[in-house]
Amino acid sequence: MSFMGFVLSAVAVASALGVVFNRNPLYSAFHLIVNLLAMAGVYSVLDAHFLAVTQVVVYAGAIMVLVLFVLMLLNLKAGSGRKLGIFRPLCAIAVACSVVTTVYPAVESNFKDLSLHELQEKAWRSEGTVKAVGEELYGRYVRQFELSSLVLLIGIVGAVTLSKRKEGKIGPREGGLGGGK
Amino acid sequence: MELGILLIKVFVVMNVSLVLASLCTWLERKGSALIQDRVGANRAGAFVESKRWYLKPALPVIRAMGWLGVINTLMCDSLKGLWKEDFVPEGASKFLHALAPVIAVLPIMLAFAVLPLAPDFTLGGYTIHPRVAAIDGGLLFVLAMGSVAVYGVAIAGWTGNNKFSLLGALRAAAQMMSYELPMGLVFVALIVVYGTLDVYSIVEGQQKLLWGFIPMWGIVLQPVGFVVLLLAGMAETKRGPFDLPEAESELVAGYFTEYSGMKFLLFWLGEFAEIALFALLLALLFFGGWDIPWVTLPQGAWWAALIGHIVLMTKVVFFCVLQIVIRWTLPRFRYDQLMNMGWKMLLPVALANLVITAVLKVAL
Amino acid sequence: MGSVVTYVGLSLVLFAIGAVGVCIRRNAIVVFMCIEMMLNAVNLAFVAFSKLQGNLDGQVAVFFVMVIAAAESAIGLAIIIALFRNLVSVETTDAAQLKW
Repeated sequence: MSFMGFVLSAVAVASALGVVFNRNPLYSAFHLIVNLLAMAGVYSVLDAHFLAVTQVVVYAGAIMVLVLFVLMLLNLKAGSGRKLGIFRPLCAIAVACSVVTTVYPAVESNFKDLSLHELQEKAWRSEGTVKAVGEELYGRYVRQFELSSLVLLIGIVGAVTLSKRKEGKIGPREGGLGGGK
Repeated sequence: MELGILLIKVFVVMNVSLVLASLCTWLERKGSALIQDRVGANRAGAFVESKRWYLKPALPVIRAMGWLGVINTLMCDSLKGLWKEDFVPEGASKFLHALAPVIAVLPIMLAFAVLPLAPDFTLGGYTIHPRVAAIDGGLLFVLAMGSVAVYGVAIAGWTGNNKFSLLGALRAAAQMMSYELPMGLVFVALIVVYGTLDVYSIVEGQQKLLWGFIPMWGIVLQPVGFVVLLLAGMAETKRGPFDLPEAESELVAGYFTEYSGMKFLLFWLGEFAEIALFALLLALLFFGGWDIPWVTLPQGAWWAALIGHIVLMTKVVFFCVLQIVIRWTLPRFRYDQLMNMGWKMLLPVALANLVITAVLKVAL
Repeated sequence: MGSVVTYVGLSLVLFAIGAVGVCIRRNAIVVFMCIEMMLNAVNLAFVAFSKLQGNLDGQVAVFFVMVIAAAESAIGLAIIIALFRNLVSVETTDAAQLKW
């Protein structure tokens, strides 16, 4: 693993932990933004250059701005709600650790038999330049590409329909705009 | 040696962007004064006297610069910003308050990294490509940095801890995101025409001649795209008639109400750097970059690169002045007019432009 | 080049963290963000395998996952806003009107 790859992976894991274990949902969102940018860096290290830039434009630049909008408009107080106790989180963490430690050696052993030279040769042929990914998208996967545009249209229509207010409901909402930490 | 060349390139690019930003600051102050039929700042340094003999030759230059308002803008504003009290509003996070201007400025500076500033040249056996990072998705990277710059605005408004800041910030963020769409579509149309995402190759592609006598500049091949990018770029930088988020008469100061001192100046520096970035983009993508219309200079000569750089900077300064003049001439849009124009006017026009460009490219 | 498999391990770790987040947190928006993190971890696994296999199928799959995630985020956030309008809360334990 190269040095940049290691640093970016460490940042990604640290910010992921910050997303889950932070009391304030706004700070969770900021940690997720850092995570997504670190992942974009990791994609670039793995030679997926088009995907790295697309990740910044789509995920970190559009989706997370939406989440930030919603969080700022709703103005939730940090840490409100009933206590959760210690049993459920501990169970979840235990299951997660056991899954990771069981699955990873299985995956890794799959790639131990291939010789180093063969792996290197295979890796060189997957240059994720824009031209190469574009040729794949418009070549072999053109039907899925067009269908995905349909999915986006459905998403737009659904989001606009869901967020329309009922006619005649004008007035201040509780817990709306505020400003704060 | 490669590392040395890279460091020099980084230094040069940072210099260019910051000098352009400072130039825009001065142009804004003096240019706005001239447009509004007043004199502007002309006191600081205009009456300086000195008895020291070694300073006497420099005095006329300093007095001239002071008379033009340069010393006022460059020295006095920066020093004032540095020495002002730096307060954080009550109940806001200090870290986020300091982070917001950085997030507003940093992506803009990063976007300068993929834009070439001169043609390739060879010097002493090394071929020097005057761009810091020749990454695969050049134009896409600029779009990505424009997307990340939205966060600085949103966080700045949030840490203001009051309704006016938050409202201004959310409106600004919504405006920036809405106008990224036509911008992206214009970039796609340019990619269709020139066939590459790399900005250097796009500039190279503009140096051919169409039918023998018209230079194949972007504005000849994509006039609609130029207009859309000009409008979308000015809306993206929250400049010009689209500056409702920072409207001085409407929302106090919008999303930077609670900022003072150096952080405030950092926001302004980011804004002027963004003006310079868009001027550079317009010059590179639509006006041939360093190309003088019917003159071909020898490839690879260092003096050709220097001339090309000076030509490019002239075009960039022209576009900076254009943006400043537009800002001080036109009244500002109301917010719903702004969003209307972005979604109902620019987006269909950019889409139609893309479709027609693609059809023509395939047919011709 | 066996070190590329380490990135599959990284993707597993991130997926596990996201899954833990979905189980632990009760704020609907934070649960949504943990789901996005899981999708991101899967994207990373796709990219790593694409590099190991030497072709671009994994990267095309990542592209489609991003498209779906964008559409899903728009609708999910619209649902959360509609929920907030009726309940004035985004805790998942408060949306319990159908509970017997």
